Amino acid sequence: MSDTVEKKIKNYRTAPFDARFPNTNQTRNCFQNYLDFHRCNKALSAKGQDVAPCDWYHRVYKTMCPMSWVAKWDDQIEAGSFPGKI
Amino acid sequence: MAHQAHAYHMVDPSPWPLTGAIAALLLTSGTAIWFHFHSLILVSAGLVLLLLTMFQWWRDIIRESTFQGHHTPPVQKGLRYGMILFITSEVFFFLGFFWAFYHSSLAPTPELGGCWPPTGVITLDPFEVPLLNTAVLLASGVTVTWAHHSIMEGERKQAIQSLTLTILLGFYFTFLQAMEYYEAPFTIADGVYGSTFFVATGFHGLHVIIGSTFLAVCLLRQVQFHFTSKHHFGFEAAAWYWHFVDVVWLFLYVSIYWWGS
Repeated sequence: MSDTVEKKIKNYRTAPFDARFPNTNQTRNCFQNYLDFHRCNKALSAKGQDVAPCDWYHRVYKTMCPMSWVAKWDDQIEAGSFPGKI
Repeated sequence: MAHQAHAYHMVDPSPWPLTGAIAALLLTSGTAIWFHFHSLILVSAGLVLLLLTMFQWWRDIIRESTFQGHHTPPVQKGLRYGMILFITSEVFFFLGFFWAFYHSSLAPTPELGGCWPPTGVITLDPFEVPLLNTAVLLASGVTVTWAHHSIMEGERKQAIQSLTLTILLGFYFTFLQAMEYYEAPFTIADGVYGSTFFVATGFHGLHVIIGSTFLAVCLLRQVQFHFTSKHHFGFEAAAWYWHFVDVVWLFLYVSIYWWGS
């Protein structure tokens, strides 16, 4: 993992402003980071690389998302019924 | 003997507005009774009364106009305004369903997988039957214009032929769409995709049936010599309505079938 990414994760306080989601409704921000975490894991494991950088997305979605949503999506992934593309 | 000193039509008292209102009440309450208590009697009575009202009201208008001559130019002008306003109200009706479609499809929720079409929805190929349907309706727009020119030029036989062709094309569209509905890999219950698709295209299909019926009545009237080359507003109203139905389809096709696939 590169130095900058490692430093960013170490100094993490809360999710930073993401210009892709400028409005009050942050649903998409939560969902996007959840997706990106799983996509990052899948892509890096497929290449046999360390999945540590993916922890950034993990931190952000854990900050942003309601726990019930995360629990529901985790269950769906386990059951194979998650509608998002990973 | 007193004669009217103006060109307007003071319509004789008629029971059809009342029977129409009663039909509306029976249809609405009947639908509620049907949903909650499984009884079809009220809604059936409402449907019968509605059909009788429409038949008799419009028959009376034909009697007043074609047979009694009450539809002078200012009266016809009023009817033109009326039809335009009615079609405008229908435009707004469809606007609502397009609003619903775009609301859900431009910002698809996580429940849908954050994408449109939603995960798991197999859409219809826009370049198969839907494209044929587009061609059918566009062709019917041409034939109805041919019918109009035939009427204006006093070409009786051609008017009958082109009007018949228009109606047949309308039936063909309805038949094709019914087949599509039967064969579709998704239903109205399949999330917001199914809801927006079937409500929007369903109401459109209903309007195609209404428009075809209106044109069929015009065909019957044309055969019975009701229209003159200068005065045939009933036909013009039907043609306007038919073009409106065609335009709504074009928007449906581009938005839901093509962009939404």
